[in-house]
Amino acid sequence: MTNGIPYSDALGNYTPQRFREPSNDQTKTRDLLEQFHPDYMPDSMTTLRVGPNQGDVCHKQLADVLQSDARIEEADLAGANTVETDILVVGGGGAGCTAALTAARNGAKVILATKLRLGDSNTVMAEGGIQTSVEKGDTPQMHYDDTIKGGHHYVDKPLAAQMVMDGPNVIRWLIQQGMQFDVDKYGDLLTRRAGGTSAPRVVYYRDYTGLEMMRVLREALTNTGIEVWDYNPTVELLSNDQGHCAGAVVSSLKNCSYTLVKAKAVILATGGIGRMHLNGFPTSNHFGATGDGLVMAYRMGAKLRDLDSFQYHPSGLAYPQHLAGTLITEGVRSAGAYLLNGHGDRFVDELGPRDHVAAAILRECEEGRGVQVNETTRGVWLDTPGVELRNPGILKSRFPKLLQLGRKCGIDPAQKPLLIFPTLHYQNGGVVIDGNGCSTVRGLYCIGEVCGGIHGKNRLMGNSLLDIISFGRRAGEHAATEVHGRPHSNVSTEHLSELRRQLTLADMPMENQGPMLFPDYAKFETDSDYDGLHKAK
Amino acid sequence: MSETSEQPVNLTINSKSITAPGSLSVIQALWHAGYPRVKSVGCLEGVCGSCRIMVRRADSHELKMELGCQLLVEEGMEVIFLVFPNPTHHTYQLEEIKNSWEVQDKFHQIFPEADHCRHCGGCDKSCPKGIEVERGVELASKGRFGEAGELFVECVMCNFCMTACPELIAPNHVGLFSRRVTAYFHIRPSNLINRLEMLRKGDLQITQ
Repeated sequence: MTNGIPYSDALGNYTPQRFREPSNDQTKTRDLLEQFHPDYMPDSMTTLRVGPNQGDVCHKQLADVLQSDARIEEADLAGANTVETDILVVGGGGAGCTAALTAARNGAKVILATKLRLGDSNTVMAEGGIQTSVEKGDTPQMHYDDTIKGGHHYVDKPLAAQMVMDGPNVIRWLIQQGMQFDVDKYGDLLTRRAGGTSAPRVVYYRDYTGLEMMRVLREALTNTGIEVWDYNPTVELLSNDQGHCAGAVVSSLKNCSYTLVKAKAVILATGGIGRMHLNGFPTSNHFGATGDGLVMAYRMGAKLRDLDSFQYHPSGLAYPQHLAGTLITEGVRSAGAYLLNGHGDRFVDELGPRDHVAAAILRECEEGRGVQVNETTRGVWLDTPGVELRNPGILKSRFPKLLQLGRKCGIDPAQKPLLIFPTLHYQNGGVVIDGNGCSTVRGLYCIGEVCGGIHGKNRLMGNSLLDIISFGRRAGEHAATEVHGRPHSNVSTEHLSELRRQLTLADMPMENQGPMLFPDYAKFETDSDYDGLHKAK
Repeated sequence: MSETSEQPVNLTINSKSITAPGSLSVIQALWHAGYPRVKSVGCLEGVCGSCRIMVRRADSHELKMELGCQLLVEEGMEVIFLVFPNPTHHTYQLEEIKNSWEVQDKFHQIFPEADHCRHCGGCDKSCPKGIEVERGVELASKGRFGEAGELFVECVMCNFCMTACPELIAPNHVGLFSRRVTAYFHIRPSNLINRLEMLRKGDLQITQ
C-alpha cells in the first residue's frame, strides 16, 4: 500500500491553477465499479440464511447483525413500565421529526424516542442541499430520470416519481417551518449542480443546509407538545396476535430500565449503518448510525432490499488522522473543484455519480498515483485553491463549514488542497416501503435512510434530504389517519421466539446480539453506567 | 504536517488521568485511553452541539467552553464534560404570528427577558463558535431580525449561551426565532412559486 507519492513531495509539486485539462478517462462505470468499488470486494458478501430475505445477498457485517439474537429476554420485561400512545416515532433526525410533527398536527398523540438527543443524526451533517427542480430548464421528469439513472435502474419507480413531484412542496413546507435558503437578489432560490444530474437542481443554505434544517425542525417539534424521550434507544419492536407491529421496547440510558410502549403505529426513522464501518472504512456518519432499525424491522418480518449496496462518498477527509472520514460536501465539487492525483492530474469527471467518482479515487490510490501520508493514510487532492482562484471569495461566502474544517486541520483550503479518500456514507438499500412509508408489516412505517428502493443502488446528492421530508410528511399523515379510533392490541415478543427458533434450525451462532446501538469503541457494553442495559448474556 | 502531533500528551478528563497522542480530539483521547463514552457524543463533526466541555489549559486560569469532538488534547489540559441542559421555557408557534407587522410585538411577548440584557458578555465568551451572541440579542430586541439571524448562521444550539445567561434570555433561541421569522415571512422565491403553480395545474407529469 505504500506505493503512492509521498505527501510532502506531492504538496511541493502542487500549485493552484486556473485551469487544468479534464480527464479523458473513458472507463465504463460498470468496469470501474467491479474493479475498485468496495461493494465488489471479494468475500465481503454472504447469503442470508434466515428471515424474509433468506437467500438474498447481503454484506457480511450487516448479515451478522440481521441474523443476531435479541438483546432482551422475556424476563427483562417482567417489571417494565407500560406506556400507551397513538404513534411511536423511533429516531430524532430529519425524517423522524418531520413524521412526528405531521402526525401530531393531524391529531395523533405522539412519542418520539431517540437513542441520543433530538437532532443527533446524519441530517444535521448533510450540508450540500436538497434536490428539487425549480429552474426554468429543469423538470420533475429530468429529476426522475437522473434519479433512476444514478440508481443504476434498481429504483422503485413509483417511489422516485412521487418524491420528485413532492420536491417543490417540500421546500415550501420547510420555509413555512422557518428554514432559510440561499436566494439571489430577486429572491429566487439559488441552485447548484449535483454529481450525476442533468441540470442545476440543488437548493441549499450555505454549506449548512442540514444544520439549518435540523435546528428548525427541532425547534418546531419541541413547541408542538410531542413527548420527546432522549437518550432512549429502542431495542426491539413488539408484535400483536396477528403479527402486526404494536409498539416497541425502549431502553433508557438515564435510569437503565426498559419501557414497553404500546403504539397503534410505529414509525422507524433510525437512519443508516455508517458506524458499522463496513470493510474497515472510515465513515461520515453520526455516532448513532448502527443500523438498529434494519435489525428490528427484519425480526418483525419486514422485507428488505439491496443489502449489498452502500455509498462511499468520494470526498471524506483523509488527513489529519483525527478527522479521517469527515465529510466535505459535494457542493465544493459542484462549485468547480477538481480532483487531482499525486501528479496533479485530473482523473475523472468530478461530477459523475458518487460511486463512479469514489471508485476512480480508489483506482488512483491502488495504481500508485495517490498521495501517501503513511502506511495507512492515502488519498487524492480536492483542489480547493483552484476554485478560489477562479472565483475569489467563494469559499468564505459559500463554504463557511469547509473553512472551519480547514482551521481544525491547520490547512487553509484557499491556499492548500485537502487530501480526501472515500468515506462510508449511505446505506442505499433498506426496508421495502410503499408511497406512504408502510413496510410489509402492518403497523410498521419506515422512513429515511432505513428504507430502500428510492435511490436504487446509488443515491444522488440532495435526494436524501428530499426523501426524508417527502416520506416523513406522508408517513406522519397516513399513520395519524390510520390509527384514529383504533384500539390498542395485546403486545408480546412472540416474534423473537420465532427468530430464535429459526436461528437454531439454521444452525446459526447465537453469541452475537443486536441491535448494535453503539460502535464498539464507545465501550457501551462494559460501561458500568449502563449495567441494567447490557446484553442478556 | 507537524510530527509533534503524534507525541503523547498528558491531561485529565472528568478527573481521569489520560495519556493520548496530541493528534486526537478530547472524545477520541478518552476512547483511546480505554474509557467508555456514550452520552455527549453526537455528530463528531462539530455541528450537533452534544459534546459540551469545560476546559482549562495548563498556562491559564481561564475556563473555556468547547466542543469535545473539535478540540485537540494538549499537555496539562483539564477537561470536564457538561450534561446537556433542560430545554428552554420559551414556547411559540410561528402560525400564532398573524403577519410580519406583528413580529416585534410577539417577540417581546415570547422572549420578555431579551430586553434585560446586562451586557455581561457571558454568552459571547461561552460560544464555541465565536458568534456575537450579545449583539444578536440586541438586534432582535430592536426588531432587526434579519441582521440578528445572520449572526447565528453557525449556531449549533449547544445551549452554552443559555446556561451562561443570568437573565435566562436563551440567546440561541432568540437567534433561531430571528432566523425562522425571516424565512417564514420573507422568503418567497418566484421560481419556486411558479413551479408550484405548474404542479397545481397539472402541467408537469412523470412518465415512468
